[in-house]
Amino acid sequence: MQAFANNLNQTTITDHLVDRCKKGDVRAFRELYNAYSAAMYNICLRMTGNVADAEDTLQEAFMQIFKNIERLESASSVTSWIKRIVVNHCLSRLRKKKVYFEEVDNIDVEEDRGAVDEDSFAWTVAAIKEAIHVLPQGYRTVLNLYIFEEYSHKEIAAMLDISESTVKTQYMRAKDKVRQIVKQKNVIR
Amino acid sequence: MPEKSFEDFISQHRPDFEEQGPGPGIWAQLEKELAPPKKGLVHMMGRHWLKAAAVLVLVVNSVMIFQFLQMKKAQHLENVSPELQDAKMYYTSQIEQRLTAIKAYPSSVVGLDSSARKELELRNETYQVLETELIQNPGNERIKAAMIHYYQLKMDLLDKILDELHDKQPVTQKQPNYEREI
Repeated sequence: MQAFANNLNQTTITDHLVDRCKKGDVRAFRELYNAYSAAMYNICLRMTGNVADAEDTLQEAFMQIFKNIERLESASSVTSWIKRIVVNHCLSRLRKKKVYFEEVDNIDVEEDRGAVDEDSFAWTVAAIKEAIHVLPQGYRTVLNLYIFEEYSHKEIAAMLDISESTVKTQYMRAKDKVRQIVKQKNVIR
Repeated sequence: MPEKSFEDFISQHRPDFEEQGPGPGIWAQLEKELAPPKKGLVHMMGRHWLKAAAVLVLVVNSVMIFQFLQMKKAQHLENVSPELQDAKMYYTSQIEQRLTAIKAYPSSVVGLDSSARKELELRNETYQVLETELIQNPGNERIKAAMIHYYQLKMDLLDKILDELHDKQPVTQKQPNYEREI
């Protein structure tokens, strides 16, 4: 959660701000939006894979956040609460696009090869982003939720309504796929 | 230099994976939805609009009745016929002077009973009837003439009484001059 918190606007979310939001103060909503919109937009962009869907999802999610702000108990839980709503909206949009998260057989899944194979090439931010972008939607979702949104395998399993082992398998396969793509790009260059 | 692992690399370069935030259009749209245009009064009242309309009619009626009563109250002679008001002031002062002079005589000398004295007063029953008629018919010249005639008759009567009283018991002190000033 620390890495995620670093992406937030420096605005401090206080109980007072939350109270103002609960009273329907539009300026308070704006402060809340300004604090979280960039980080939440990045989640939407990673999860949906395109700007149009990311913007629509962000808008829908924030509307729900504003409408349900009464349910937020205190400012201390605001970040995880908002993030969960945004992620749920992303998953909902993916389901509407007929993206299914199914159980997989994990027999052929290799264990994480760690540093051994990776010594032969260099990771770059651009290469990883590009590789993730071309991953099958199911792999990309699991990888994003685990590596960027920092949810546990168990939490991801609950969100996607699949088993924890399937989440682990999908993550391994996704990572392997990214590695292959980046390696391929290294060779070409 | 090769990196340790995929997870380590991402962790170390986490901020570099972030894109710019959304465009301003998102907030503009949200703001529009947060503050929808104000609904009409009837729409806001929903199914209670009929009750509200009934209450409004009652309030308006009450206000109108109150204003009507206030208006009636304010319909004094000065508002109805300003020119008659001037005449009234003149005659009133003249009549009051005569009445005061008559009252200066002892009752035994005046020789009038209480009902006759009451009839001599300025605002007797005849006067009240005339004034009410004039307020209800402010443009009626006949009523105005009748009021003037009333004042003149009253002054004539008071002068005659004073003359008789003067004959009966001359007053040593200086009496006011009752010359008619019509």
